[in-house]
Amino acid sequence: MVYSMSENKQKNSFFSVIKDFPAAVWSSVFRHNLPHTDLGRSQTSFTNFFLHIHPVKVHKHTLKPWFTMGLGLISLFLFLILTVTGVLLMFYYVPSTTQAYDRMLDLRGSVAFGVFLRNMHRWSAHGMVAAVFLHMCRVFFTGSYKKPREFNWVIGVLLFLVTLFLSFTGYLLPWDQLAFWAITVGTAIAGYAPVVGDQMRFILLGDTTVGQEALLRFYVLHVAVLPLVAAGLIAIHFWRIRKDGGMSRPADADVIETNGAAPVETEAIPAAAPVMAMAAAGNGGIDFIEKRRYGVQGLVRGPFTKVGNVPDNSVYSYPNLLLAELFVFILTVLGVLVISFFFNAPLEEAVNVLHPPNPAKAPWYFLGLQEMVSYSAFWGGVGVPGIEVLILLLVPYIDRGQKGVGKWFAKERLLANTLFMTFVVVNIVLIIIGTFFRGQNWEFVSPF
Amino acid sequence: MSDKHNAHDSEGNSEPISRRKVLAWLTSMGILGSGIVTLFSNLVFIKPRATYGQPSRFAIGTPNEFPPGTRIALGAQKVAVVREGNKMAAISITCTHLGCIVGVAETGFACPCHGSRFDQDGNVTGGPAPKPLPWFELSLAPNGQLEVDKSKQITAGKWFTV
Repeated sequence: MVYSMSENKQKNSFFSVIKDFPAAVWSSVFRHNLPHTDLGRSQTSFTNFFLHIHPVKVHKHTLKPWFTMGLGLISLFLFLILTVTGVLLMFYYVPSTTQAYDRMLDLRGSVAFGVFLRNMHRWSAHGMVAAVFLHMCRVFFTGSYKKPREFNWVIGVLLFLVTLFLSFTGYLLPWDQLAFWAITVGTAIAGYAPVVGDQMRFILLGDTTVGQEALLRFYVLHVAVLPLVAAGLIAIHFWRIRKDGGMSRPADADVIETNGAAPVETEAIPAAAPVMAMAAAGNGGIDFIEKRRYGVQGLVRGPFTKVGNVPDNSVYSYPNLLLAELFVFILTVLGVLVISFFFNAPLEEAVNVLHPPNPAKAPWYFLGLQEMVSYSAFWGGVGVPGIEVLILLLVPYIDRGQKGVGKWFAKERLLANTLFMTFVVVNIVLIIIGTFFRGQNWEFVSPF
Repeated sequence: MSDKHNAHDSEGNSEPISRRKVLAWLTSMGILGSGIVTLFSNLVFIKPRATYGQPSRFAIGTPNEFPPGTRIALGAQKVAVVREGNKMAAISITCTHLGCIVGVAETGFACPCHGSRFDQDGNVTGGPAPKPLPWFELSLAPNGQLEVDKSKQITAGKWFTV
């Protein structure tokens, strides 16, 4: 007794406080060391703010590189690169019709890394449009929008639209020829919308013609409104992935291969039954009894909460998922750096309100739209795109079959995949026509 | 007691509405209403009351500055001034398709953005433009200056004689 008391006194001595100071600070920030046990690996998801988005364990199928191709992650990382480079560029940009273009030129001469940052920002934006679209194709061709992931598909379509608006509002800011004529044409398309068209155009431009007010408005949309909307939707998108039972996977992904013995089927199949789907479905899930208390284990089911020696096909997120994400991150950053090093972002001549460039072409991802509006402004700019978006939003509620989930180009989904492939090919063909087959006065020319 | 009794009667066979339900309903409606008012006032806020752009009525110069045979575009004002003999007209050079500025040539107007084509009087001869280029009212002010009023469209072919 006496001995231990003296030890306690020693611990609180002045010198021991000094000596233990670094460790005390460290342990107040990081609650445990790098994990070496399964318990520690589980704890990473609980104790680390930046890792708590991960599940403790992740299905092996999710980590197959060719299933997701990391396209969603690439989109996220590009969004992060865009946020960082965008904030940096804001330090030197003035949203003024008389100054904006000069500021672009200043990036070349009087700002360290100015051109490089602008290149990174522009090429990441192009990359993000492509990555988000390819991500959508991946989700469709693997049938991953099926129940219970219907609503997350809807969020994804909205994110695709926000991405397009972000890039549209972004390439106006240099106030070069492309910017001026893109805003002119874009807001004119908005003016063709039924009933509210003219009002919408006036509110977007803040004036009857394109000028200072329009530049300021698109600037605010680009640097504040749309990024906040995107960040909010991304948060919901990610949260829903977890709550909807993780990545989609084929029904046979839960069968454990055992040496020699018959395969063990772990649980009834659509069984990674997510919380919300069960709450809605009733049968198949848990029969909720009102006025009974439920612990977390009573609500969450599926392979992720298995305790003990139950065989399952999942591995710990730390380090498996984390390393996969790190790999995609490095690849994305590397790609952006290399492209930004070798190619400069386009900057056209200063605005000339009398002479649109001839032909006046939008960036590649809007050339399909531009090709369509060259036939009819209403149908090409409002009607057909509106119908396309509406169908995309409704896809999971129209196509409700539960077969072929989690497999690329599943035979059971031949019709749906063929229709979507047609949609993709038609849009790509329109973009190719707009890019290579349109010359002066938007006349048909042969590139050969 | 009698109040409660009457309320029950007026509801017929349905369950009496409890005070809690009425309050919940009133609260929900209050919050919903405030939300709608907030949204509407924000829309009113971002719709400008004054604009800083071009005035719709402006002077372009004396008739002598436009000799017969003139076909020129005024960039800032976005009109083409045409003079044939002593007849003059102010024709819009904003494409009726999607608002690009059309090029002015001897044979008419052509849009570089989506390929709309117009004849000398602004009638559509090809491309996606849905309407002909509008003509604006032209007048001679007392100080001898020609004035264009872009808020007043006139029928095509109605020339102003100087």
